[in-house]
Amino acid sequence: MADIKLKGITRRWNDFIGVDNLNLDIADREFLVLLGPSGCGKSTTMRMIAGLEEVSSGEIWLGERMVNNLEPKDRDISMVFQSYGLYPTMSVYENIRFPLRIRKVPASEHKERVLRAAEMVELTQFLDRRPAALSGGQRQRVALARAIVRAPNAFLMDEPLSNLDAKLRVSTRAQIANLHHELKTTTVYVTHDQVEAMTLADRVVVMKNGIAQQIAPPMDIYNKPANTFVASFIGAPAMNLIEGHLEAGTFTSPVLTVSGLPHRHSGPVTLGFRAEDVAVVSEGGNLAAPVYSVERLGDSTMFAIRAKDDLISLKADKAASLAIGDVVRAAVTAKVSHIFDGTTGQRIEPLLIPA
Amino acid sequence: MTSSPARPNYTLTLIATAFVLFWMVVAGFPFLWTTWGSFKVEADFFSRADWSNALSGVNTIRQTGDAFTMDGYKGAWILNDFWRAGLNTMLVTVVVTVLSLVLGTLGGYALARSGYRYAFWILILALVFRAMPHITLVSGYLVPFFQLNIWGTLPTAIIVLVAINQPFTLWMLHSFFLSIPKDLDESAMVDGCTRFQAFREVIVPVMWPGIITTGLFSFLLAYNDFAVTAMLLRQENQTMIPKIASFLGSIESEGNVMFAVSSVVSATVPLFILVMFFQRQIVGGLTAGAVKG
Repeated sequence: MADIKLKGITRRWNDFIGVDNLNLDIADREFLVLLGPSGCGKSTTMRMIAGLEEVSSGEIWLGERMVNNLEPKDRDISMVFQSYGLYPTMSVYENIRFPLRIRKVPASEHKERVLRAAEMVELTQFLDRRPAALSGGQRQRVALARAIVRAPNAFLMDEPLSNLDAKLRVSTRAQIANLHHELKTTTVYVTHDQVEAMTLADRVVVMKNGIAQQIAPPMDIYNKPANTFVASFIGAPAMNLIEGHLEAGTFTSPVLTVSGLPHRHSGPVTLGFRAEDVAVVSEGGNLAAPVYSVERLGDSTMFAIRAKDDLISLKADKAASLAIGDVVRAAVTAKVSHIFDGTTGQRIEPLLIPA
Repeated sequence: MTSSPARPNYTLTLIATAFVLFWMVVAGFPFLWTTWGSFKVEADFFSRADWSNALSGVNTIRQTGDAFTMDGYKGAWILNDFWRAGLNTMLVTVVVTVLSLVLGTLGGYALARSGYRYAFWILILALVFRAMPHITLVSGYLVPFFQLNIWGTLPTAIIVLVAINQPFTLWMLHSFFLSIPKDLDESAMVDGCTRFQAFREVIVPVMWPGIITTGLFSFLLAYNDFAVTAMLLRQENQTMIPKIASFLGSIESEGNVMFAVSSVVSATVPLFILVMFFQRQIVGGLTAGAVKG
């Protein structure tokens, strides 16, 4: 077990920058999630930690060791791959045992440790099978068991749930959360799914174009997104963003006017609010537009309206009975509004009003 | 449209079956005919008077007292040392196959996993060498081999055959390696393997069907080679194919042609056994579906 420090690591391919000057301290036992759209450098970051990708500049520290020049095998980490990476010619038992055999763990311990790992991921009855005879979820559990069979410095998981169907994803996610709770091993987890990030992480790193946009616990990222990219990436549905103008605490745009904002800033801004923070009202309200689409989710109903090019989603209770074309009204208050700079997209903090 | 099972078209089935049978006879007949004929004497098998002599064996009965004779085999194997040629062939083919595979798997793996562009150009270069007629290489080798005094020995022929065969094994194994996902190497390396251990412990076991297929083709190349072995081997070191050719080349005494016929049959039988034995591996895709869901 160890902490991981990334000191200004950069990965370049000729003139393309995959990861740009990333600084990150991952505490011992922390569950850190790298989140971002494809091509944002999150997998590259993980592969650099694993030693599968060269570091162009910067340093990677695992515990007390600078590991830049160490082979993957000498870094003492375990990795779970998106495509599982199971050895097709070996049985499940042999697959899980492989790291022990290769690392010359005394043979007398093998059986016990393999069985314990298999038990943790509920694979005991499949030990004799070949990977080809397993379902996707079972294969991924074999990969997990192979990772936990020894006690490495850290676990690296590269989109481990991406190849599973929706239902399996939920149960395997729970299994991973439970494993981390049991084993308390430092874990770096790569995903493009914000739900996985929110549910699993102690801290989330939101990345875009090789640059970390925000590094914070999930709730902080949800409550205080650092910029419009993070705001639009986190939450389901994503935060609604409306471009407009802020002057003396009043936000004006063609579709929406919000006053009483505690921001001392003037100029072009983007106002953001989450669908779940805003109440759909029958009378009044400061946002009114014809319904563009209706999505009934069972526990609630989502209305989408059009604001210039973007869709704005609003959440109403399940009894709401508006149809497409009807006018929906909502009250967006200053309290639920997030303000971002209109040009840089960076969050503008409200002034703290003394209580 | 609702799917109804296609009604069997009897005429078409008949024509297809007839064609396949015809084709099998055309393809198999020369070998069967040769096998049959190898148990006759020259006067029957190469009879100018009546081709049916080869079937009835009139002269064979007159000369040996029986419709079938082992004279051709006896002459070739015992009197003319065909067994030595057989041993030489065995030695050459086994060594060529093993060397080709060792170099080919290592090189093919390196090229398949290399991120550099020159890997591609090495393969193109290999293709160019593969396209050259073998005899062009051999004629270039002759003089240096004489000067170095290594002409005529088996190791020399083996080296040349490996060199000629290598482009093919490289290509073939390279594409087999490409079909194995990189994730396998990487997970092996994270699990504690060096690059070479990952190759040996994880990649090679998955590669067996590819290695066996490539090995079989290497084997056939060495086994069937004429250009290299005829030019580079001394009489006593000759392998089977040039030996057969030399039987055919000396027809002044009766019966020599029959030595050739019987040795041709002898040389073909091992190939049949080999292909039968490995047919499953040649066709089989052992890894299908094992890596990804």
